[in-house]
Amino acid sequence: MRNTAAIMQRELLSLFFSPIGYVVIAGFLLLTGVIALVTDSFGPGKPATLRRIFDFTPYVLTIIIPAISMRTISEEYRSGTIESLTTAPVSDTQFVIGKYLAAFIFYAIMLSGTLVYLILMIKFGNPDIGASLAAYFGLLLVGVSFTAFGVFTSSLTKNQIVAWMLGMVPLMLFVWFAAFIIGAVEGKLRLAFQHVNIMRHLDLFNRGLITAESVVFFLATAVLFLFFTVKVVESRRWR
Amino acid sequence: MIEVRNLSKYYGSLCAVNGISFSVAEGEVVGFLGPNGAGKTTTIRILTCYQPASGGGASVAGHDVFTDSMAVRAKVGYMPESVPLYHEMRVREYLKFRGKIRGLPGGQRQRAIGSVVERCWLKDVVDRPIGQLSKGYKQRVGLADALLHNPPVLVLDEPTIGLDPTQIRATRSLIRELAQDHTVMLSSHILPEVEAVCQRIIIINKGQIVASGTPAELRERITGDSELIAEIKGPIDVVQAELKKIADVSGVHGETRDGWTRVSVTTQKDVREAIAALAADKKWPLRELRRDVATLEDFFVKIVAAARDVDPLLTEKGDK
Repeated sequence: MRNTAAIMQRELLSLFFSPIGYVVIAGFLLLTGVIALVTDSFGPGKPATLRRIFDFTPYVLTIIIPAISMRTISEEYRSGTIESLTTAPVSDTQFVIGKYLAAFIFYAIMLSGTLVYLILMIKFGNPDIGASLAAYFGLLLVGVSFTAFGVFTSSLTKNQIVAWMLGMVPLMLFVWFAAFIIGAVEGKLRLAFQHVNIMRHLDLFNRGLITAESVVFFLATAVLFLFFTVKVVESRRWR
Repeated sequence: MIEVRNLSKYYGSLCAVNGISFSVAEGEVVGFLGPNGAGKTTTIRILTCYQPASGGGASVAGHDVFTDSMAVRAKVGYMPESVPLYHEMRVREYLKFRGKIRGLPGGQRQRAIGSVVERCWLKDVVDRPIGQLSKGYKQRVGLADALLHNPPVLVLDEPTIGLDPTQIRATRSLIRELAQDHTVMLSSHILPEVEAVCQRIIIINKGQIVASGTPAELRERITGDSELIAEIKGPIDVVQAELKKIADVSGVHGETRDGWTRVSVTTQKDVREAIAALAADKKWPLRELRRDVATLEDFFVKIVAAARDVDPLLTEKGDK
């Protein structure tokens, strides 16, 4: 626990020390700002809701979250610090969880930047606060799951950019093209794809529905990929 | 303190370490010497639980490196060859982080940081980002990190590589000082380095131990003729003829320089006394008489050269 906390703290510190951290935050806020403009969410006479912004945010997150997590483990490989870290009394699980939590907390801090839209909306309108909070909860869960995947891809390579691409492309397939893919297959496969359709789960949250199925879906994928990450980190010792 | 039994490590089909065994007693300073690519770092990485062995076993401070890895890691202070550090952190922050993951509680951690900063001469740079430090300072930060939890066993992989002569000297004296209450194992490919600080030397080449012992023991193993140099004022022919008459002399080679005859005598025994007596007897002035003892360096070079003769590929690799 103490080891996990120490690793998390150090990782957060270096995320906030690196220019990449700020570039990512700026990029995210810029893109959500553009979405707010394009969807005309704050236009006069429009309904006071953030739903249009929330609808598009996951598309942005497929690019942004892998950018947050890309350096977590790959940078340890590249700089060789993995050697001094894994010869200290730290288990591979503590190492992976610490890295993961740091990336997730960074994401949560970044996401909190969009709360300004909610505050403005409350000030000048009468939005459905319950649904908005459910949507935020949904976005946090997306972060739980995407960050785990990003940390996993980061464990596969010592090159940050490769880690970013490895994380971004599958997430894009899942989010940007999910509808096409589901439309292209039939039968049981289609049913299976519908269950793992991230956008369907998020749509429920946006409508203010928090279902056990969706919560379990995001948490389970996170656990799965963190487990894979631990195995990848372990396996590197054997090479 | 360190026990290595029949240890092997393969990278794919490449054999990096081939069934080596040795042990290091408590309080000993052992130098692990070998040319580049001999298997030093691989062995050290197995001992520090970074990599598992392919065969054989090892234990450090009574704990097996494979089955009881966490206990070993707690007892070992390890400085890897490349001295990996987080460049964005300040020295103090880094040591604080390392103290935390080593399980040092707050107050003890503060004291430990204070003491290693003192010991490794880091006072002036303790609040500077590591990325801005020179190679020598980074090396010291790595050393400070290895010492932080006051481990009974210190493993230093090439501790003086890339340092300037003053820094090398300072590091050596630090290691000697540490040897008083730590078991130290250090690796190097530079012999005088090891000779200067170690009580025992293990020479490894191509994954196998080729020699081990104290520097004196190793010197004794250098068999063959030694050479005596003498400068005598006398006619060269007579000098050579007389020297050849001395027992155990197998060869004499002389040359004349400024009226002095400089002879090198190949012999199996130390016949300096006989030469001095001869010169006194013949009333030849004698201005130099010394014995060229083969150094450990010769021994080491011989071993490495032997390996190169066998494997020309190794030569190419070594030269690059």
